[in-house]
Amino acid sequence: MARDPKYDVLFEPIQLGPKTMKNRFYQIPHCNGFGSEKPMSQAYFRAMKAEGGYGACCTEYCSIHPESDDTHRVSARLWDDDDIKNLGLMCDMLHEHGALAAAELWYGGPHAPCMESRAVPRGPSQIPSDFEHLTYAKEMDKDDIREVQGFYVEAAKRAREAGFDIVYVYGSHSYLPQQFLTPYYNKRTDEYGGSLENRARFWRETIEQVKDAVGDDCAIAVRMSTDMFMGEAGTQLERDCLPFVELVDDIVDVWDINVSGISEWGEDATPSRFYPSGRLLPWQKAVKDVSKKPVLGVGRFTNPDLMVEAINGGSLDIIATCRPSISDPFLPLKIDEGRLDDIRECIGCNICISRWEIGGPPLICTQNATAGEEYRRGWHPEKFDPATNADNDVLVVGAGPAGMECAMVLGKRGMRRVHLVEAADDMGGIMRWIPELPGLGEWARVVNYRKIQIDKLKNVEFIPNTELDANGVKDYGAEIVVIATGGYWATDGLNGATHDTIPGADASKPNMLTPEQIMRDGKEVPGNRVVIVDNDGYYMGVSLAEKLAMEGKQVTIMTHLGHIAPYMDFTLESPNMHRRLHQLKVEIVTHQVPTQIANGGLTSAYAFAEEHLTEWEADAVVLVTQRRSNEALYRELKDKVGIDTLRGEGITGFYRIGDCEAPRLTADCVFSGHRLAREIDSDNPEVPLPFKRERAVIEHEAVLTA
Amino acid sequence: MKVVVCVKQIAQLGDEIEFTDDERDVDPDYLDYALNEWDTYATEEALRLRESAGEGEVVVVSVGSEDSEEAMRRCLAMGADRGIRIDTEERLDPVRVARALAEVVRAESPDLVFTGVQSADSVQAATGTALAELLDLPRVAVVTKIELGDGKATVNRELEGGLVDVIEVDTPALLTIQTGINEPRYATLRAIKQAEEKEIDVRQPGDLGEPAYGVRKMFVPPKGEGAEMLDGSASDVAQRIKEIVEERTG
Repeated sequence: MARDPKYDVLFEPIQLGPKTMKNRFYQIPHCNGFGSEKPMSQAYFRAMKAEGGYGACCTEYCSIHPESDDTHRVSARLWDDDDIKNLGLMCDMLHEHGALAAAELWYGGPHAPCMESRAVPRGPSQIPSDFEHLTYAKEMDKDDIREVQGFYVEAAKRAREAGFDIVYVYGSHSYLPQQFLTPYYNKRTDEYGGSLENRARFWRETIEQVKDAVGDDCAIAVRMSTDMFMGEAGTQLERDCLPFVELVDDIVDVWDINVSGISEWGEDATPSRFYPSGRLLPWQKAVKDVSKKPVLGVGRFTNPDLMVEAINGGSLDIIATCRPSISDPFLPLKIDEGRLDDIRECIGCNICISRWEIGGPPLICTQNATAGEEYRRGWHPEKFDPATNADNDVLVVGAGPAGMECAMVLGKRGMRRVHLVEAADDMGGIMRWIPELPGLGEWARVVNYRKIQIDKLKNVEFIPNTELDANGVKDYGAEIVVIATGGYWATDGLNGATHDTIPGADASKPNMLTPEQIMRDGKEVPGNRVVIVDNDGYYMGVSLAEKLAMEGKQVTIMTHLGHIAPYMDFTLESPNMHRRLHQLKVEIVTHQVPTQIANGGLTSAYAFAEEHLTEWEADAVVLVTQRRSNEALYRELKDKVGIDTLRGEGITGFYRIGDCEAPRLTADCVFSGHRLAREIDSDNPEVPLPFKRERAVIEHEAVLTA
Repeated sequence: MKVVVCVKQIAQLGDEIEFTDDERDVDPDYLDYALNEWDTYATEEALRLRESAGEGEVVVVSVGSEDSEEAMRRCLAMGADRGIRIDTEERLDPVRVARALAEVVRAESPDLVFTGVQSADSVQAATGTALAELLDLPRVAVVTKIELGDGKATVNRELEGGLVDVIEVDTPALLTIQTGINEPRYATLRAIKQAEEKEIDVRQPGDLGEPAYGVRKMFVPPKGEGAEMLDGSASDVAQRIKEIVEERTG
């Protein structure tokens, strides 16, 4: 298929300083959990996007010195020559695909807790970080300023040596240069504080010095938050940002434009729950109106029409993506080849970001099970080796996220026939009703993408309205059986706090309900006062609270934790979720453990003093206590029918995936189905194959005798 | 009770196509194949009648090359009892297809003959009617419901505008079956595998007679300039539509 000419502008090359970028697709700096210390994973991860057509790929924030150590979070590092070697691989692999490589040089100042290096960060003023706990910076004097600027210069030279084409002086999200620019962080009274010219001085000087050092060989990129949404205290577009752009435009080769500070950077990395794609365009346009240089920026862009409009409308020269490049590294190529319905669109769930926020784990992606697995499992999102046991028919029972993914990948691996059998009338499983929670409409893309792909696969047949029992599975005629029957919310109040049920909890009664009873089955929530018992910790409780409050109910949400929906801190959804619940007058109750549910209400105890009881009036109690596996079918087949009998029927492989094995994130359900399909021809597909681990392995005897 | 269901393996266009050198057809390299959707419903309806009667036979008949047996086997996997293929490599017009079918179908002495209303690739809706004429059978087209009686059937026929024509027809009869008449069953893998093993009876066609028509040329119609694309938000587009309607209607 050919490219639609209306997208031609996305494929025009563009000059960035001394470098030419081959098209307008740019993978913005973003974290992946690999840094410089998992260099293979880092290089393979970035190179996949270059293979997918991206014109440039960036590192994540790249620390220039041990004083800028973000442990527990994982950054890249360019501290020494060995880091040059490690990141050099990424540059080489990007260049092989004709993509530019960019290093986002970063110094965190007071935001860098230095938990590994134990160094002391320096900052414009001595104010504890609003993002990290217990972190203070040394207040910089002129010597400190010269030294830290020197760190940038040395790091830029290391970046050049590694092979980077673009070098950033990164300030966005409240890192050091932006701290100097911002009154919130900069209380100085010398020539580095006060007026705009003074507040801009540090950043301007640093850019000049870096440009002097490497500017002939590398493009100089500046990443800036145009507005921190903090009023006078924060960076403001008109007062600070635009004048700064005008001040340094001549020495900058490309602008990378964000909004927000660091403590609410979900205003920039917008969850789809709260913002549509392209949220930053007005600010990006404001910069483009005053700059003569190329402007790039993100906006959770998945739709090529919006991308073209952003460029033709004068808001951006280059379309940058982070999350859409994670969910589909081949986005540019698919647009180029006219294969728009093959694009696996980002759903804006921010599960990828949550892993960085937690600090340590590699990223994962709900839509793309291969994200992060490029090196350690050798998975390619677009390439599937034919299965060596393709001469087999597969029955997948259940077309939720795990079943759909498994059937799809088995189909792509050439299994002779795959039947995806589903009791309901359509694919999707829990992903049919979860996107109907407030704000989560884009999450339906998980289903839509797989529906389209499965429809295209000649060897995969989707069979709805068919509920198979154990005999039905046994007699189906498949050689490989995969059970993907999902999970359900406990109806008896079973929960992870007490490891027990809640006396009186019974969702078969009209006044007690589980999430799927409300969303999937349409069970009526009686009366006006609702108490939601939330021991889950992620979005289900608060989403239902929002929904029911919007319907006019008086809602109380109760958790045994000290904090409602703590996982949403990691997905950057918490601040706006709290605003929303506050707006809807939802009462949030923490550290309470239900002891009894009866008609008309429930009783709870304070988590740290069981005798301290509170009575709550409730017409309806919603139980979001924990999930259980729908494992009845699997158990009957394994325990009652038995593996030997199944083998006698010709079933040589019998597996289960997703929630029916153990409830988990949707991203992990998709991964579960994907992994089984990738490894369906291994010796024992039930057991995941070992993945490569990047670590030092010592010859300990040699060390001892040395 | 015997129902003969005439089925077709239809061609589906891929994302890209090229034409044959003589520009009269699509190059087969660019085609995918599948059982005609209408024929799934027809087969299902025949199976239901057999099940209601408690006895009987459903025979599927098709005109095509050996590759087209794949489509027939779908019907066998659903539960049809036997399959007969009339062998030809040519793409035939509906009248010649009907001539090829007539001899075989007549020899089966069926109580009912089903075809789909139309095929998804040629979309002419003519084969069934032509076959009824050749077999000298009463025929009702676009059938959405069948009730079998003694020596006759009461059928619903779909008309325009949601109207339904209820017709009594003597049997044996030929009915062309509309999609949506039922919900076709799916075949399990076991049934599909068993259908793979079944022998399909292959016959050579008799005299197909003169073609009903000849194809002069097949081509992709040129894109006209006529459409004005409306961009922007929903309210922008709505505003523009209002303006256009006002302009055009004066």
